[in-house]
Amino acid sequence: MSRNQKQAVLFVALLCLDLRTHVGSAPICPHGHTGCHILSLADLFDRVIQHSARLHGLSSDLHSEFEHFFLPSKNHIGRVYRKCHTSSILTPNGKENAQKLAREELTEVILKLLTAWRDPLSQLHQSMAHQQDFNSFSSNKALELSDMVHELRKGVEKVTEKMQLLGMISNSVNGLSSSEALLPASESGEAMSDYELVYCFRRDSDKVQNYLKILKCRIVPEHGC
Amino acid sequence: MMWIDSGTMPLLTLSVFFLLLSPATSTSAPGRPRVTSCRSPEKETFTCWWEPGDDGGLPTTYALYYCLEGSETVYECPDYKTAGKNSCFFSKNDTSLWINYNISVVATNAEGKSVSEPVEVDVVYIVQPKTPESVMVSVLEDDHGPYLRVSWDKPRSADTRSGWITLVYQLRVKQVKEENWEEYDAGMQKYYNVFSLHSGKEYMVQVRCKPDHGFWSEWTTPAYIQMPDFIPRERSMWIMVAVFSAFILLIFAWTMNVKRSSVKHYLLPPIPGPKIRGFDQQLLKSGKSEEVFNALVIQGFPPTTNYEDLLVEYLEVYDDVKQELVLNGKNLPEGLLKSKTMSSDNDSGRGSCDSRTLLMEKCAEGVEESGMEQELSQFGESSWASSDSGEDRENPASPRQEDRKVQTWPPVFSSPQPHHFQQQQPGGTRASYHSVPEISCRSPPGHSSGGQQNRFSKPGFYQYTQMHSMDSIEHKHVAQVPQSQSAEYVEVQTVDPENILLLRPLANAEGHDPELSDFAGEDYSKVRDVTSDNILLLQRDLSGPQYVRDYCQDQSGQVDPCFMQLQQVEQTCKPTNVHLHLPSLMLQDGMRLAGNGYVDSTIMMS
Repeated sequence: MSRNQKQAVLFVALLCLDLRTHVGSAPICPHGHTGCHILSLADLFDRVIQHSARLHGLSSDLHSEFEHFFLPSKNHIGRVYRKCHTSSILTPNGKENAQKLAREELTEVILKLLTAWRDPLSQLHQSMAHQQDFNSFSSNKALELSDMVHELRKGVEKVTEKMQLLGMISNSVNGLSSSEALLPASESGEAMSDYELVYCFRRDSDKVQNYLKILKCRIVPEHGC
Repeated sequence: MMWIDSGTMPLLTLSVFFLLLSPATSTSAPGRPRVTSCRSPEKETFTCWWEPGDDGGLPTTYALYYCLEGSETVYECPDYKTAGKNSCFFSKNDTSLWINYNISVVATNAEGKSVSEPVEVDVVYIVQPKTPESVMVSVLEDDHGPYLRVSWDKPRSADTRSGWITLVYQLRVKQVKEENWEEYDAGMQKYYNVFSLHSGKEYMVQVRCKPDHGFWSEWTTPAYIQMPDFIPRERSMWIMVAVFSAFILLIFAWTMNVKRSSVKHYLLPPIPGPKIRGFDQQLLKSGKSEEVFNALVIQGFPPTTNYEDLLVEYLEVYDDVKQELVLNGKNLPEGLLKSKTMSSDNDSGRGSCDSRTLLMEKCAEGVEESGMEQELSQFGESSWASSDSGEDRENPASPRQEDRKVQTWPPVFSSPQPHHFQQQQPGGTRASYHSVPEISCRSPPGHSSGGQQNRFSKPGFYQYTQMHSMDSIEHKHVAQVPQSQSAEYVEVQTVDPENILLLRPLANAEGHDPELSDFAGEDYSKVRDVTSDNILLLQRDLSGPQYVRDYCQDQSGQVDPCFMQLQQVEQTCKPTNVHLHLPSLMLQDGMRLAGNGYVDSTIMMS
């Protein structure tokens, strides 16, 4: 649990920060420690975005493996797919819509998405591991996906806290806990198949990455935007 | 035409008739169109293109319909114009991301319609940006030479500023005349430096871009640039280094060549030759042996006044013709020297050529001799040829002269070997012998070889010489003293210029008979014969002069028994100049060596 400890220390350090310091430029270590290294918000954003990019790449790989294995026909004629379980989450589907959203809402959306996928991915991994159709490589990817989603969510939470600390967003972000109960049940009550899960997750990971980029360029625009 | 069935004939004519009549009127439903591609340049709009099928001969209209994922509502393409013919442009309002579009094209004509196969599109995955813009190439200089700097701009439509799209760039470079491109990934930056280009060549550069997941854009139009002429600095530096080192090497080689000998001397130091202190090799080269020996002569050395003790020369000459021994004489000093040299040649541990050491050895013992003087005085002059080169050879020297000569003798000759005499004459009357390798036994009056026999009229004369062979201690007794016969002693009168010892018989010889007879023994070896090239043949056997006689008889015609010639002695200590040529004294039939083997067997047998 060193990670939690680290986060706790970071949180305490952030709390101890002088709130009047301006955003993102010269981080100061609390208690005068010279060895500690507090990340700026821009660095945090960069890390999170890289993480989400990696997540998306992994999910794309898994999806293409599924397609080659299961469904050779490219256009999926006759394929009936259900809605993704995250379709209830309102997500902006265009640039304007995304830019119209407030920072807090955008952050909330991100967090909701990430939260909604933690359990389904672990289910996916388990079901893939049991089936013999997949090689171990694919099932390992599924396992990795669930871990990464979990870590990404933690990272985004950290960023959110930092932003709230820095006063960039209000404290009204409440996506942290309320979306835990979202279950990946489709409307028909059946559980989604593995393929559908992978398909939906690929899309959602791209959404997350995009939203994070928008958020970053809106909050810390001077760094590579 | 008999093979044509009569029934098919009207059918054929009818079909031909119809074909002829109906080219303009045959129509059919259009063929199926096909959606070729859909692309979005900035992830905000997109366009789909289709390919019409066969139109069926009738004007055909095409319509594109789409429906969104999860909805059954069918929409028609909002804009057929913007993107050109057979295309459908979806504007921003009509574009939704992360949603599958189900698109199909319907071709309609009067005869019917046909629907293309549906295509599912998610706009996010069909992004293909426009080409980068404002590509600029320039040549810059730095320490290592010129390089290219390429810079560009993002395509205008792509919105990277808000983070909506992330573009990565790629450029490629090649020489105008070559075929292979060199590609470089520039990441998200909008400039790139290209190094290691060839001087004087013309290059062309192109750039393209791609969103983080999507399609590559088209390449930009090529930008041309001419590289200036230059010499790579590293190469010029290496050229300079190479030239400089070659120059240094050349100088070094030349110096070594000039100083070849000293280098060789340094690397392979010559083995120093043997040196005799006080011995001047230059004198040797000049060929005058007398000077050499004069150089060796040290006045007052050995530090004894009884140098005469060192001189005991006994020449016993046989008058018997048959037993005449031919001894090869030499210039005595040279001979002695040479014998000394011989003594040092082939055997280790034997005396060196250093005459001084030899003399020291022997003189120490010679000094003790007291009784020698008398004997010596009797002969007094029974000395060998003087060391003085040729001065006294001409004239038969008086005893006094020979005395004088004798006086100069000791340094030259080796000291006697007292131990031999001690064995035989415990009384202490010792005679010191000078080693003379070869002595000619010519009589003074005549030098011709024919008259030699007449010289030795007295019977029982024989000559013997003591030879210093390898060992300075050993004696080689050339001749054996026959005990039965009376022996007479001769003294060397003089030495001819032709290196011939002129002998003179002495008066008192009997007194020395016992000595001589005592001398006879194993320590002496007889000279058996002398070959034509001045080689002394020694006889090993001590049985007496019969051998000699026999031998002489055997080879009466061949050998001139008493003819001895002094040979030129090489004045160096080099072993190669041994005139004794003992190796050539190979045992011949009937010839035996002296009992004690005074003749060095190694020399003999080698």
